[in-house]
Amino acid sequence: MEKKLWWKLLCVPILMYVIIVGLSVPLSPGITSMSQYTATTGQTFTARVTTYNTFHTKAKEVKARLRKDTSLFIAAQNVKVLDDNNIEVTFLIPAFMPSSKEQERFSLDIDNDFDGYGTLPGKFVIIQSSIDSLQGAQVWKNTNFGDLSERGTSFPFRGLLFETIRNTFFHVPLWFAMLFLFIGATWNSFMYLRTQDQDHDRRAEVMTMVGLVFGLLGIVTGMLWAKSTWGTYWTWKEIKLNMTAIALLIYFAYFVLRNAFDDFEKRARISAVYNMFAFVAAMILINVIPRMTDSLHPGSGGNPAFGSEDMDNTLRMVFYPAIIGWTLLGYWIATIYYRALNIEEKYLERE
Amino acid sequence: MNTFQEIWFLFRKELTLEFRQKYAISGILLYVFSTIFVVYTSTFEAGPKQWNILFWIIVLFASVNTAAKSFVQESGTRQLYYYTLVNPVAIIISKMLYNTLLLLALNFLAYGVFSLVLGSPVRDLQLFFIAIFLASLGFSITFTFISAISSKADNSASLMAILGFPIVIPILMELIVVSQNAMPGSFDSAINEDIMILLAIDLMLGGAALMLFPFLWRD
Repeated sequence: MEKKLWWKLLCVPILMYVIIVGLSVPLSPGITSMSQYTATTGQTFTARVTTYNTFHTKAKEVKARLRKDTSLFIAAQNVKVLDDNNIEVTFLIPAFMPSSKEQERFSLDIDNDFDGYGTLPGKFVIIQSSIDSLQGAQVWKNTNFGDLSERGTSFPFRGLLFETIRNTFFHVPLWFAMLFLFIGATWNSFMYLRTQDQDHDRRAEVMTMVGLVFGLLGIVTGMLWAKSTWGTYWTWKEIKLNMTAIALLIYFAYFVLRNAFDDFEKRARISAVYNMFAFVAAMILINVIPRMTDSLHPGSGGNPAFGSEDMDNTLRMVFYPAIIGWTLLGYWIATIYYRALNIEEKYLERE
Repeated sequence: MNTFQEIWFLFRKELTLEFRQKYAISGILLYVFSTIFVVYTSTFEAGPKQWNILFWIIVLFASVNTAAKSFVQESGTRQLYYYTLVNPVAIIISKMLYNTLLLLALNFLAYGVFSLVLGSPVRDLQLFFIAIFLASLGFSITFTFISAISSKADNSASLMAILGFPIVIPILMELIVVSQNAMPGSFDSAINEDIMILLAIDLMLGGAALMLFPFLWRD
């Protein structure tokens, strides 16, 4: 396969698609902040809402609602457009809430016909003194809001992540590519031990090298992401960072080991053995240990990557091609490096 | 001779060698005593957490030193002679068994001296001993195999540390979780799961080592 052209021709448009679409598709409209997050029952509540990626002045109508779930909500009494990203909403909070608790959290939806809708989930708190959830349920149903407007192709707007959600197409697929390259290296090590063919040893070496580079890129993209979301480049409390760093150290040691031998045959055999052993140890570090402890990563304490609720279909449309694209690119680099090593060896033989 | 008999004979050979030379065990004992003495003289106030980590660090380094000798103690020609006689898997298993036993003795001794000098904060002795047992098994499996690899190179001592420490970290982390639970002030109901994971890590690394060793010994 590696001498054929078609997969290289496939790799380039896939990665271009990933980079262009991944960076140019806008985020959904979202709500970044409100001037006030709490209200009491029976109050006429007015707040200034700052939204992101919206064009309220171009819209015919801007609507807002406070929502407990899909059927229980009240529409805003009045929505005043200040500018493209700022509106002032006024709610008449009913005297009763559809809840038997003293405090209840509500989501705020903003909807206009130009951008579609955006949501601030579960951040708005209403406090009530007298509790009557049955009556509350009636009052909260008693509004007509109409349907939510359609929004165009867009990536989900998430508080904390904002535009960095696009890193999903770099950080995560780079790890996948690294994993596939390490699997390829392990397979070639296995084949070397079976056939004693130096060719397999060289393939294992180049795949480990490129896998290591991709792993480092995964760490660097992760650090940048961590800086913007968690506020720090590196934290010792986050198990996944440290475990992957150690897994990469294991593979660094592979190259130290290679340099310790002068004899070709011995070097190939022993580093093939170590490579397979390293793969087992690295898989324990990357896939077993992080599942057992809490983590700041999405889907923590279980699935090491994104859970189904973290991804939506628009993200997937770019995310899956990104995995294929980065893996093909990694393999491509590995084949070039492999050929370079072959040429170097021939050159040395001739001298 | 079947493999089990071979393992038994080789295991006895290791023990006999040890009793004749008393080189490894006395060197390690000196190491453990002097490290603990250094800790003692530094008048270091160790809470349960610090005690735990200090204990495992000392045990870790003692284990590396013990297992590093596995394949360099005897001359290459004599080892070649063994390989012509027996199955290579029997050789690595017997060395792992012997190292496990040695490390068990060493770790219990280290625990004894540690609790004598610094006092013992351990609340759940049974759990702590399970941790010591799994530590001996895991360290012995990993370091025996790594020493088999590094003994093939010239500067095997430094290679041993470079190759061994990153690989042993998952075991060490689980160990600290399990043994921390044997200390007062921490209780985790899912501790059995951690013990099973530690055992599973030991067995996975052990299985990989046994599968790969037959490719390694040939020179």
